[in-house]
Amino acid sequence: MSHQTPLGSSVPHASCLDLWREKNDQLVRQAKVAQDSRLSLRRQQLAQDALEGFRGLLHSLRGLPAAVPVLPLELTITCNFITLRASLAQGFTEDQAQDIQQGLERVLETQEQLGPRLECGLRGLWDSVLHYSSLLLELLPALHHLAGLQAALWLSTDCLGDLTFLLQTLNGNQNEASRNLLRLLKTWSPPAEETNAPLTLQDARGLRNVLLTASAFRQGLQELITGSLPRALSSLREAASGLCPRPVLVQVYTALGTCLRKMGNPQRALLYLVAALKGGSTWGPPLLEASRLYQQLGNTAAELESLELLVEALNVTHSSEAPQLLIEVELLLPRLHPASPLHCGTQSQAKYLLASRCLQVGRAEDAAEHYLDLLALVLDGLESKFSPPPSPTGPCIPEVFLEAAAALIQASRAQDALTVCEELLSRTSSLLPKMPQLWEDARKGTKESPHCPSWVSATYLLQGQAWVQLGAQKEAISEFSRCLELLFRATPKDKERGPASNGEKGCVSDMTLQQLRAAALISRGLQWVASGQDTKALQDFLLSVQMCPGNQDASFHLLQTLRRMDRRDEATALWWRLEAQTKLPQENAAWSLPLYLETYLGWIRFPDRETLLEEFQTSLPEPCDL
Amino acid sequence: MAGLEPRVEYLESFRCPLGGLAAGKPRVLCHGAEIFVSTGSEFVYVYDQEGRLLTAVYRFPGQVWHLELWAPRRLLYVLCAQKGIYCLSLDQASRSVNQGDGDDRGSEDGQPPCAAVPVHPDACLLPDDTLCTFTVVDDMLVTLAQGPARWKVQLSDCPCPGEDARPRGQIGEVELSTSSPLAGAPGEPTAPHILPVLCCVSPPGSSALQGRTRGSRGCLLEQALFGLLFGVDASLLESPVILCGLPDGQLCCVVLKTLVTSRLSPGDPKALVKILHHLEEPVVFIGALKTESLAEDAEDTHPDCLVALGHGGRILAIKASWDEAGTLVPELREYQLPGPVLCAACGGGGRVYHSTPSELCVADLARGRASDRGPGGLPSLLCPAGLGICSVVTLSVSCEVPEGGARLLALSARGRLMTCSLDLSSEMPCPTRAAVADTGQKIKELLSGIGTVSERVSSLKKAVDQRNKALTCLNEAMNVSCVLLASREGPRPISCTTTTAWSRLQPQDMLTATCRLENNSGLSLDRGWALCVQVLTSTPASDTDVAGSATTYTIPVDRLGPGDRREVTLPLGPGEDGALDLPLTVSCALHYSLREVVGGALAPSESFKDPFLDECPPDVLPEQDGICLPLSKHTVDMLQCLRFPGLATPHTQPSGLLGPVSDSVDTFLGSLGPRSEPAGPASLRAKFLPPSVATIRVSAELLRAALGDSHTGTSLGCATLQWLLAENTALDVVRSRRLSSVQGVAPDGTDLHLTIREVAVTHLCTAGPMQTVEIQVESSSLASLCSAHHAVIGRLQRMVVEQAAQSSSPPDLRVQYLRQIHINHETLLREVQALRDRLCTEDEASSCGTAERLLQVYAQLRSPSLLLL
Repeated sequence: MSHQTPLGSSVPHASCLDLWREKNDQLVRQAKVAQDSRLSLRRQQLAQDALEGFRGLLHSLRGLPAAVPVLPLELTITCNFITLRASLAQGFTEDQAQDIQQGLERVLETQEQLGPRLECGLRGLWDSVLHYSSLLLELLPALHHLAGLQAALWLSTDCLGDLTFLLQTLNGNQNEASRNLLRLLKTWSPPAEETNAPLTLQDARGLRNVLLTASAFRQGLQELITGSLPRALSSLREAASGLCPRPVLVQVYTALGTCLRKMGNPQRALLYLVAALKGGSTWGPPLLEASRLYQQLGNTAAELESLELLVEALNVTHSSEAPQLLIEVELLLPRLHPASPLHCGTQSQAKYLLASRCLQVGRAEDAAEHYLDLLALVLDGLESKFSPPPSPTGPCIPEVFLEAAAALIQASRAQDALTVCEELLSRTSSLLPKMPQLWEDARKGTKESPHCPSWVSATYLLQGQAWVQLGAQKEAISEFSRCLELLFRATPKDKERGPASNGEKGCVSDMTLQQLRAAALISRGLQWVASGQDTKALQDFLLSVQMCPGNQDASFHLLQTLRRMDRRDEATALWWRLEAQTKLPQENAAWSLPLYLETYLGWIRFPDRETLLEEFQTSLPEPCDL
Repeated sequence: MAGLEPRVEYLESFRCPLGGLAAGKPRVLCHGAEIFVSTGSEFVYVYDQEGRLLTAVYRFPGQVWHLELWAPRRLLYVLCAQKGIYCLSLDQASRSVNQGDGDDRGSEDGQPPCAAVPVHPDACLLPDDTLCTFTVVDDMLVTLAQGPARWKVQLSDCPCPGEDARPRGQIGEVELSTSSPLAGAPGEPTAPHILPVLCCVSPPGSSALQGRTRGSRGCLLEQALFGLLFGVDASLLESPVILCGLPDGQLCCVVLKTLVTSRLSPGDPKALVKILHHLEEPVVFIGALKTESLAEDAEDTHPDCLVALGHGGRILAIKASWDEAGTLVPELREYQLPGPVLCAACGGGGRVYHSTPSELCVADLARGRASDRGPGGLPSLLCPAGLGICSVVTLSVSCEVPEGGARLLALSARGRLMTCSLDLSSEMPCPTRAAVADTGQKIKELLSGIGTVSERVSSLKKAVDQRNKALTCLNEAMNVSCVLLASREGPRPISCTTTTAWSRLQPQDMLTATCRLENNSGLSLDRGWALCVQVLTSTPASDTDVAGSATTYTIPVDRLGPGDRREVTLPLGPGEDGALDLPLTVSCALHYSLREVVGGALAPSESFKDPFLDECPPDVLPEQDGICLPLSKHTVDMLQCLRFPGLATPHTQPSGLLGPVSDSVDTFLGSLGPRSEPAGPASLRAKFLPPSVATIRVSAELLRAALGDSHTGTSLGCATLQWLLAENTALDVVRSRRLSSVQGVAPDGTDLHLTIREVAVTHLCTAGPMQTVEIQVESSSLASLCSAHHAVIGRLQRMVVEQAAQSSSPPDLRVQYLRQIHINHETLLREVQALRDRLCTEDEASSCGTAERLLQVYAQLRSPSLLLL
């Protein structure tokens, strides 16, 4: 205990206290004026000034030894400071934790209990402060307010254990058994502020309501993600019943929709989504959820319409309302993870979703238009605020080009597809191995061949198909050959290179490579067939069967060629094998191929397998069963 | 390249703080004939190269950390520390200058030559106190803010000034995944020592950088290197990429077009941010170079090498090259240049200019390529060549002179703006130019060379002076320490004595200690010395587990020459609660601060202030950076603090010092009406409980021997009392009145009675009754009694120890009796122990009884009076 009273100054406590209080009230009023200010810059400056004012005031108060009569005011100022700071920074940081800690230490200072308790951290501090403050009733309102801020901080940093402990202590440990956060929050009733108390930006009760909604929402989302749906439903309903700002309400309703959809109640889910759409200006999440719902219901038209609306909605840069200078529910919510059901992405991501769904459900024309729009969006300047699908699961940009080309071919716009492919190659030409040298090496077969990304070969493949559609056989065959050359040379280095060659991580898998090769071989074979060169065709089909035994189309094409060439023995053997395979249950494709490849494989599918098999069977000589 | 001779031309001098400009924050920008200069203060200067004069000075509300010019619309963007980004339209601003807005407030800190135009707060585009740096890409503003644990890259629309009404349009934000803690202590937002750097890199086809002036920090990068570094996606999108060089050495990149986020789709750092390299020292510069000189004049060649320069001089160069198989691979190379680097810039033809405190150097990444490696490779060694210009704190390559020369704009640490023209094509050490025609030019060059050299000499001289001074100080300190440590016996040449007294200056009476420092040595105590007084309180009797607290006062000894003395008076208490825990120990020591004296000299001379070494080299000075020489230790006990209002005689003594304060108004009020009793528990106890008593008996013989001849003429009782109160201010009165009993007041206001009488003890000595002196302490307050008792015992103990050395033989004692006393005491002590243990475990009701009993035992222990022989 050091007795260091300021020399030669007798502090006129009463008047100084009034002065500080007056200053606090004035700063709170200033912050409220800032809140109402429409000009965002002016608002920001006023708020910054108020923040500085609070900081200065706190600084001068903390310069004096802690005293019980001044403490309620000091704690209130601390609370106002933290509230303003967190709302300006849109989040809590370590600094706020320190502010709270300092406030608590000041309380303990009056009790001269500082020292050994410091080691227990904030939790220990709270324990001793609340224990002590039960003796000092005048401190209670301010301490509950500070505790509310501490709860908000711990909620936003996910320290739920500490939070539960704090609430239990605040509730006086009446129901120690209860570790249910929501119940604890409900039972906590901060003492009402006295009428003559210094002004606050946000009172403890308001803070408690915000905490209740936020923690119910957090909990509900968490349960929704982990799959405990009934509990998620009740938590989310709790959140929806509380007071919360509209954007949050939209999110809560959307989450309720997701939850009900997963529980198999599409109609009720739809009701919530409609409510969400009526609720506010953030239409993205409910629209995306609606598209998922319609997809699940099999209502393609409605699904695509929702997606179109989603694209529109994300195009509108909704005038983001300036956040309140309070601790709000949004502040306490976790950052949205891309996997979250509420993550709705950017406009281009929505556009991509729309385009790819169109392609998948067979609306080729629409798909082509949407892909072209998307590419325009991609290649435009910054003004359009584009963001490509950055999620690790999404396709890389070259694949978007390839899908666009595939959609164009599907929509019989081969010329446009060629343009897209050329654009892709030209834009990346400087990154590719030097091609003339590559062909040279390939011909000589001497040097180790350079690595080439798989999407380059896929581009040649699509170009070949475009030429096929245009009826230019020669060009088509040469593109297919190019593609095959690249594909066969590229393999050995693929694995060792791994992450170094970015932009194609996850793009290539063994299965994709196999199917690409099979597709190229079949395509070339079909061209040989069309030009009447059956031997060459046969060679390609044979190779494709060897390369990719899983691809049955290759076998059918081979069978038909063998039959046409009248090589009966081989054909019969193949037929037997095919018969055996078709009788086996069709193993579903466990792998997922890139969308452009799926589309491509659809083009070279053998048209009528059953007929061929039957025809072949009838043509077989009977004595087979001998 | 040894013979590189720059033609240096001084343009203008700017105000700079004492010790020169620190590197890192000043900026120089060149646009046409205009040069924009910020020196790290709150001013931005506009200098006109054609008219050779300052055309405008703007005063911003905070320190300017960064400048960017957006040439197409003639907008100047300025980052103010802890404020945000301001935007000035140069056309509008110049009008306001012409109007003669004469708010010249620069007078207090060196006048700028023309009136400083204060920038209106409304010019603030982006109020944000965490911003550290920014760059402008098209009409977007990319900022780097210091978050609580991470750096944040933010992308926002850049509204033009005047379009205030629209809300600040933040488009995207992502946190950089840096885990190392940032500079600055937690809590207080402190300015970082070294600011991070941003560089915007675009692929050749991108529209983003068209219309930007050269010399600003954005640059184009050849397609192959761009794609290799930032991926196929970025090059397909033709998106500008923001490179961030952080103070922890990380070099990371963000593809700008992907940085479009919102609250509902926040940016995922893993997907958006890529770490390119870790330089392991703060990154101070990022730039791009053209190393291939094959088609130098062709328009479509772009820089093909990315460089990042660290503060310590480590430079990283990245180029794209093809391996044997024809695959594109990045070639990374690190070189070491002399450090610490103050600033750097990229010039044409693979040249990197970088400035250290001692020299501005140029290194050429395109040189020596042919001899070292095949085409496309980077040189294996980098040889920087000095240009003979020192302490340039910011640099800008203004424009390239066609034939391999260069023109640099530089700002020196002294605040001088200069242009340096380099002729890099001439490899000859000494140009053999036509002498006569060039004479005038040559003289000019020589003169400016002299200017540079003189600037360098003066800064070196200052450093030497500083070091000499520090050495002298150290020598003196050494002598003082030797003198103090050598004289362990006898009076010390530098001593400190402590006395206590009551003072009435405060609203409440205050016990003060006066420490008097006397210098009787031949040496003087100079700057760096401080007197440290530590006041250590004893533990309150109630809880012995808690250690007493100490307060240390440090008073600088400004200058104490031989024979000088200095007095320091410190308050000891009582505190607000009126308690004064006695005894107190006041220890005095001399402290010599090495940091204060030597710190300045060890830092590299101030003019080249290195931001990292701002506060003295940590490895040279240890944490405990001083010498501590203990001088004296003084114990303040109850006997020194007693006051005797009864002894006060108005005409001989200033009455106040002998008794506690009594306000005349209070006295007056008290005399009226019925006396209201003070209601405290102490006064109640005083009223209703018998006072506690403690007695100590000392053999008269022992006392006589100890007091020596000082008591001649008075009775032994009086002498003993005088001896006990020797350090009290009331000693004179006690002596003059020959008192053997006094009524005093303890610091907490309770009364205390000291009585000395001579008694004879009969049972103890075989030789008959023995003469002893009985000291009786009586007080209504138990606490005061205990302290006084403690103080008396303490003195007696000291006396006995002193006497033991020259002891005479003790008289014959009845050992039996002594043993009996001893045994009695031991049983009592055991009971005390037992009672105290019980007190800890019992509840309140029964503990009352125990406490009472305990008090009784204590009283018994005190009263049978130990006899000291």
